[in-house]
Amino acid sequence: MAGDIFAGAINVAQFPQRRRDEDEAAASAGQGWSAISYLIGGILVWGFIGWLVDRWLGTGGIATAIGAVLGAAGGVYLIVRRLGA
Amino acid sequence: MHSLVIVPARDDLPFPPTVEEFFPPALVDGTYPWLTKFTLLVWIAVGLLIVFFLVAYRNPKMVPSRGQWMAESIYGFSRENIAKEMIGHEGVKFAPYFTTLFCFILLTNLFSIIPGIQISPSAHIAIPVMLAVISYVMFNYVGIRRHGFGKYMKLSLVPPAPWFIQPILIPIEFFSTFIVRPVTLSVRLFANMFAGHMILLVFSLGGFALLGANSWFIKPISLLSWALAIALTFLEALVIVLQAYVFVVLTSSYVSGALAEEH
Repeated sequence: MAGDIFAGAINVAQFPQRRRDEDEAAASAGQGWSAISYLIGGILVWGFIGWLVDRWLGTGGIATAIGAVLGAAGGVYLIVRRLGA
Repeated sequence: MHSLVIVPARDDLPFPPTVEEFFPPALVDGTYPWLTKFTLLVWIAVGLLIVFFLVAYRNPKMVPSRGQWMAESIYGFSRENIAKEMIGHEGVKFAPYFTTLFCFILLTNLFSIIPGIQISPSAHIAIPVMLAVISYVMFNYVGIRRHGFGKYMKLSLVPPAPWFIQPILIPIEFFSTFIVRPVTLSVRLFANMFAGHMILLVFSLGGFALLGANSWFIKPISLLSWALAIALTFLEALVIVLQAYVFVVLTSSYVSGALAEEH
């Protein structure tokens, strides 16, 4: 509350619930971005780890592919757990 | 086909526009990069906002003047529709920051379509990066202060899942929360303002390039190019407000996530 220096001057009735839909849209936009970052992040992180394994063992790309698939699966799982329901 | 070759009217016409557009020279010799059009615009924006809010709230009335009404509307919007809506009741203490952030981004973005200025400091990556760093440090700080470092990390990084999947999920969570968030926050604002400026340059300078073409069939197309430049300026106005709003909404959603007991 300490930070609310203008509270006294605010006419709260000025901001009724009419914008509810737009606010929910904004919240959903945040969820959408985090869903995208989980999915792409999963593929990138585990694809990169797979690529490092490829370089290390000289397996020529198979570990990158496995990593990317694993990362995508992890990303989907995270979206379901964190954002679903 | 020869007549279709487009030749600029003058050799010094800067078409097509290049990235050089976003590195304006120093205003006074020897001050680069400390005193350029961008730094000057940032200080002007800061000064205008300070003066605007000081004047608007200098003598508040029950029936507000126009200035007071505008300031209250902007603050009330940030407080009721962003802070409270996204974070809940305790979001109110972040409302001053969100208001400042929203106003600063809105005003600096607005410079990109104000005649005579026509470029936004946000079109230079350094400024969105700095804004994102502030938001990044803030949401992590409030999260750590609320939960303590260990519990904050556990809440952020360890999703509700069986233990044997955790090794797969934790790196993804780390990447998504601590790397993707600040990067997308800054790049989204930067890229929108950069692309917007680029598009306006292409269509307005492109009009001159078409006008300078050798063929009389090409010259009239410059009118179409300029008409599009005007239409796209209105689109740019939309993008300006939207990006300022999105930046603040995402910052508040990160703060809300950092304060939450569970995700």
